[in-house]
Amino acid sequence: MAWQIQCTASPPPLPSFPPFTLKSTSSISLPLPLPLPLPLPRSSRFRSTHAPSPRPIAASFSAVESTTSTDGLGNSKTPLLEVKGLTAVIAETKQEILKGVDLVIHHGEIHAIMGKNGSGKSTFSKVIVGHPDYEVTGGDVVFKGENLLDMEPEERSLAGLFMSFQSPVEIPGVNNIDFLHMAYNARRKKLGEPELGPLEFYAYIYPKLDLVNMKTDFLNRNVNEGFSGGERKRNEILQLAVLGADLAILDEIDSGLDVDALRDVAKAVNGLLTPTNSVLMITHYRRLLEFIKPTFIHIMENGRIIKTGDSSLAEVLEEKGYTAISAA
Amino acid sequence: MAALTFTHQNLLHFTPKLMTSKPYLKPKRTKTKLSIQTIRESPQASFTDQFVLQLADSLEDSLPSSSSSSSLPLQKLRDNSSETLLSTQWPSRKDESFRFTDTSFIKNSDINPISHPPNSLDLLEVSRDTQFESFNFVDGFLVDSSFSSSNLPDGVYVGSLSKLSSEGILKRVCELLGDFEWGDLFWSVNGLGAPDLMVVYVPEGCRVENPIYLKYVAVEGADKGSKKMPLSNPRVFVLVEKGGEVGIVEEFVAKVGSECYWTNSVLEVVVGEGAKVSHSYVQNQSLSAAHIKWTSVRQEKTSTYELVEVSTGGKLSRHNVHVQQLGSDTVTELTTFHLSVGDQTQDLHSRIVLDYPRGYSQQLHKCIVAHSSGQAVFDGNVKVNRYAQQTDAGQLTRSLLLEPRATVNVKPNLQIIADDVKCSHGAAISDLEDSQLFYFQARGIDLETAREALVFSFGTEVIDKLPYSFVQKQVKDHVKALLKSRRKGSS
Repeated sequence: MAWQIQCTASPPPLPSFPPFTLKSTSSISLPLPLPLPLPLPRSSRFRSTHAPSPRPIAASFSAVESTTSTDGLGNSKTPLLEVKGLTAVIAETKQEILKGVDLVIHHGEIHAIMGKNGSGKSTFSKVIVGHPDYEVTGGDVVFKGENLLDMEPEERSLAGLFMSFQSPVEIPGVNNIDFLHMAYNARRKKLGEPELGPLEFYAYIYPKLDLVNMKTDFLNRNVNEGFSGGERKRNEILQLAVLGADLAILDEIDSGLDVDALRDVAKAVNGLLTPTNSVLMITHYRRLLEFIKPTFIHIMENGRIIKTGDSSLAEVLEEKGYTAISAA
Repeated sequence: MAALTFTHQNLLHFTPKLMTSKPYLKPKRTKTKLSIQTIRESPQASFTDQFVLQLADSLEDSLPSSSSSSSLPLQKLRDNSSETLLSTQWPSRKDESFRFTDTSFIKNSDINPISHPPNSLDLLEVSRDTQFESFNFVDGFLVDSSFSSSNLPDGVYVGSLSKLSSEGILKRVCELLGDFEWGDLFWSVNGLGAPDLMVVYVPEGCRVENPIYLKYVAVEGADKGSKKMPLSNPRVFVLVEKGGEVGIVEEFVAKVGSECYWTNSVLEVVVGEGAKVSHSYVQNQSLSAAHIKWTSVRQEKTSTYELVEVSTGGKLSRHNVHVQQLGSDTVTELTTFHLSVGDQTQDLHSRIVLDYPRGYSQQLHKCIVAHSSGQAVFDGNVKVNRYAQQTDAGQLTRSLLLEPRATVNVKPNLQIIADDVKCSHGAAISDLEDSQLFYFQARGIDLETAREALVFSFGTEVIDKLPYSFVQKQVKDHVKALLKSRRKGSS
């Protein structure tokens, strides 16, 4: 996948490598990156995403970003997700929540956004997946080379974006397995693969239950109906395991979980990680970050990301609180 | 007590059809009518009487001449009904219980009570259709079925009153049949017009393992749009003695091609002390038919009555449920689902009367109106009288309006006189929940599929309560097909 992204996002005058002839057939099906602001010369490709930012915080950003360009996977550095100057309001009241968010996530990276209540963390994750309660008023979001903001929520999901809900809704009357089956088949249909019948699907899903440490009867219950907090979170991760995603946004996956349940959930998430897929965690607490080690930590305040750093930032936060960071 | 009228999105006021008022019609006959009902303003009454009188005449003519002599209880029922009919008027929108339900569709048709069971060829077809061993009513006549009574426990009687040989049972039926003060015109029409009476008798302490499956098939029916309306009046009486237990499944269907007809059915249930009746009622009539049904239940102390209803058919469908408590510690559960996918009215009028302590009653009514000229009506009354202390009564109604101008009239009402009770009620009218739709979308499922799944799941809550899986499956398939046909029709 990374290969394909790279080739479509590359500037035209690049010399063609032999493997391209093979890849080119599949790359036709890829959507063309029309509105994508093409990266500048390769040497400065990371800096480029943040360079236009007039805000002083840009400095700390690019500093961190540039360090990563030298380590990590190195070979494919076209961003998986690129958010620039994203602003959004609550659809009903027009109250502005996001006031210019910038964020770049590459393949294989784990990011965490931390911040106080009301700083806009959850809103950010909901806006990314197209929640109707919010209206985007400005900025760009590019996911795998495509303009995400032009896509319907289900298209975003099918494109490889997954968000685990902070408090998933109950859907009485819809069986958990039927729901998963529907979602999984929608994905297969999108990929041009034949849909699975109920029995085949059961065979597919059954081993995944172990991953989240759930019993079989879990599948026959109605979606989230009467689930405990822990069951709801496990169910979200089960959905992630079944559907797969290039980018999984975990919105407060740790809230309302005891340590054992948290360990289960974290173990499941870690089990799903591959070198190419990425995770964005939204959390209040450092505890989660001990189980799922982030590459980057972002601090969000008042609708913006005000600081970005590596995992050591969490320790600073733990010691001195958010005020120390926002003052800095 | 106030009734709520809701229309979807574009608020359109419910326009009551104006009755063609015939002012100052000369009063043709003066009925000695001590009316407890609201006083009418116009002498229109005499006009309606005339119509009912004609109907009563034609009902009497339709009765098989032989049966009149045979069964005493039936004769008594007919006499009483005939007497009541003479003092009852055809309901109008001015009657509180028909305020939102327009019955003029029936009245304006050429009503023709069916006097003979259909020919044997049709009968054969009906019994072939039947997937499960059932007792069949065809056009209101109980026909001999394949069901072997030998499968039933000793002492249980299921069959026609005319073939009942036990004097003891006959006496009990005689005591209890038709003893009901709350009936309306349709109750009486059935009482007069029922050609036979089916009796289900469960003796003391007897538990009937398999459900008694009653299938009502309409064979004689006119074409859609025709003025003709054959009328049938099936009637069933269920008596479960002390500690007995039985499941009753009622299913209403029509032979393919029968579209316009009127089924006017009555079921009476007497649940003895500590006895239990589980009642499943599935109404799949033709979408051009009229379907009126009464279910009258009397509950002795510590008895249980559970009703699960799914009604999807009929142009006009009305279910009147009356549950009367005759002793303390009763359990009553009514769970109902109505679906209007076409130009249909689905109406539930229920009344639970609690007169003794520690009764428990729980009611859930759900309806979906998926057509711009579809309508659902719900009037749910729970009366908690003076001596019904420590009653626990809950009532909830939820309606889903899926099209502009789709209408629902709900009137949930609790009348509480006792002072030490726990009662709750609620009404919700909505479109589908956005948060639920989004949850589907967030997992890659398109809006149309999500809507379909959610609409179906709305009814599933009720359908899942049907106690027999074969009925459940059948109903689910039927509802799914109806919703699908609607989707095709609209797109």
